Amino acid sequence: MSQQNLPPPPPNSLPEQPQFPRHRTRYNRPRTYISRWGLAFGLVFGILFGLGYAWLIAPIEEFDTEPYQLRASDKNHYAVAIILEYQQSGDLARAVNKLVELRLGSDPIQSIADVACELASTGYVNNTSGLNALRAMKTFYQLQGRNGCADLLVPEIDSADTQVVEVIVPTNTPTIPPPPSKTPTPDFGPQTPTPRINVVPTVVAQRDFEGRIANTFCDPQFPALIEVFVVQFNGDGIPGETVRVRWEGNSSLFVTGLKLERGESYADFQMEEGTSYTIDMPSLSDPVDTPLIAESCFTEGGDESLKSYRVVFRQVE
Amino acid sequence: MKRFLTSLLLGLILGGLIGLYFGWVQFPVEYVDSPMEDLEPRAKDDYTVMIATSYHFDKDGLGAVERLRLLGVDNVPEYVQSTTERFITNSRDLNDIRLLVNLSNGLGRLTPIMEPFLDLTGGDS
Repeated sequence: MSQQNLPPPPPNSLPEQPQFPRHRTRYNRPRTYISRWGLAFGLVFGILFGLGYAWLIAPIEEFDTEPYQLRASDKNHYAVAIILEYQQSGDLARAVNKLVELRLGSDPIQSIADVACELASTGYVNNTSGLNALRAMKTFYQLQGRNGCADLLVPEIDSADTQVVEVIVPTNTPTIPPPPSKTPTPDFGPQTPTPRINVVPTVVAQRDFEGRIANTFCDPQFPALIEVFVVQFNGDGIPGETVRVRWEGNSSLFVTGLKLERGESYADFQMEEGTSYTIDMPSLSDPVDTPLIAESCFTEGGDESLKSYRVVFRQVE
Repeated sequence: MKRFLTSLLLGLILGGLIGLYFGWVQFPVEYVDSPMEDLEPRAKDDYTVMIATSYHFDKDGLGAVERLRLLGVDNVPEYVQSTTERFITNSRDLNDIRLLVNLSNGLGRLTPIMEPFLDLTGGDS
């Protein structure tokens, strides 16, 4: 009886204390001074703002420009300096290393050929200094087995101009006249008729000039353009020569030397997209074998343009 | 709410500093299409020596002046003189000094400090 009135023995643990730790919730987690979400949002927006400010609003001032960061025209001049130094030092490895640092293209030597081609098409060759530089560039890339349109546009050094000829001036030295002697007369024997040589007249060569496509290029500023250069066999330009372009039953004649800023050998023609053209010099050259078509092309920068051609008519020697 | 805003502000400050560090130090804006006059001094020196090398052999003074003018210097002979004297003062490569002295001399700017180096080039210039 007395035992029945006794309270039940206390449990090992209190009922409000679970035997297994419960998952913390936002209601029972101890509060900190930092909100994770607030900090995360702040970091993301802060980084974006910081980058935007550093790149767009207040970028660092440029003061240590490397050669590869130069604009294209100045890169060309820097490349010229490298080649001029190579011409004198002959240190190919040093020159190639510098060209690689200049980042002209994947093939630095072919890039020199391209630069030479570009400079040869401008007024750069109008002075001796520029001409010598282009010759040095030609020598550089030709020795490495590359080629470019400068091969045709830049005249070779005329050895006749630079060759030193020693002229021996005759001096007046008294000479004793030889004594008269009796010269025997040859005996030719019986006269035999000499065979008559018939010279068959040949047709005068029709090909005074030989045309070829020197290269093609993709330039948004000069889309679908045919640039024509008419040069003598030694590379000197010839003004006033007529060039003909034909397409789909039509034809157009134009003359070199009218755009003197591009040189006296220069003329150009604007093509239409997708049309096939043939080009020749009327009665002076055969048409260039390959038809010229202004197709779509992309520049290195990814800009779309139309393919242009550079055609050279060289006088047949 | 106050706790959230405080954390947001702290994040903005930290994030801003991180962004500025990456934007100015780690990945700064890289310029392209720069003119020659913005070249770093080492590259300018290199370019000047290349032109001096060319001049040493072809004696094309006008060409050398035109090429050095691309560096944005108004007075090319003065620039060559100061560069040459700096090379001498800093004991740079002897061959480079000789080439620069030769060019400076060619441009009419031979100073006493250069004369000993000109004697070295006397044989082949």
